Amino acid sequence: MNCNGCEFRPELYYDSEFQIWVRVEADGALAVGMTDISQTIAGKILHVRVRRPGTPRPAGRPVATIESGKWAGPVPNLFDCTIASANREVLEAPALLNREPYDAWIARVTPAAPPAEALSRFLTGDAAWAAYCERCRRDDIRCRRLDG
Amino acid sequence: MAEPRYLEHEAKSVVIVMTSGPSTRHRCATPFYMGAILASMDAEVRIFFTMEGVKLCQKGVAEHLTAIDGGKTIIEFMRDAKAAGVRFYLCRPALPGYEMEVDSVIDEVDELSSGGELADLILSCDKALFF
Repeated sequence: MNCNGCEFRPELYYDSEFQIWVRVEADGALAVGMTDISQTIAGKILHVRVRRPGTPRPAGRPVATIESGKWAGPVPNLFDCTIASANREVLEAPALLNREPYDAWIARVTPAAPPAEALSRFLTGDAAWAAYCERCRRDDIRCRRLDG
Repeated sequence: MAEPRYLEHEAKSVVIVMTSGPSTRHRCATPFYMGAILASMDAEVRIFFTMEGVKLCQKGVAEHLTAIDGGKTIIEFMRDAKAAGVRFYLCRPALPGYEMEVDSVIDEVDELSSGGELADLILSCDKALFF
């Protein structure tokens, strides 16, 4: 599925601004990554740094920082969690986030609450799809992927 | 594979004093970029605009200013910093020198402040940066 060329995956969970996606893993951990919208706005990503695994992160405290040549900012966090691991492939090759935003997860976190509770403020499925398209159209976002 | 450079900083407070303005446009993007990174690393970041820096807070200025030809506008860098959690303080006593009125200030400014408040911020923060 895509809107203005921005890929959307209905099975994922999204924040209301579609900065990040979250996926529930088999072991109950939550994988966090950037959306196609976010990677397009950021441009070619040059650096990714994640909090050390084992670090508790309260809601509102970022799990990672992202830098491109023209944009810098947090990977936001909306629930209490602990960093479980970082994707070392992404740390070594940050532009993976531009090429495969939904496969290249950034960090896995262990939520303090059960996943369903931690994700209660996130959008998913049809509701997320409608809001995702609305964001693309409202801000005239047209997604682009890096080649190679 | 080498151990990644994980983020491990404790929360800090940082004040960025922004004195650069449109006459040195190439100095006007990096302070906001750095502010966004610092805020993303848990720092409590305040940017205090004084001297020519106040011009960036005048409506219509940062919207049409870029650090490099064809680059992102300064207001976009400012908004990125705000989105990361940075707070903006504007030096009210500096406004008359640049023929600015309070009602011409952009909405992104959080507080109109005094020189004394800047002194308080500098004396109480962990790090102060000047651009």
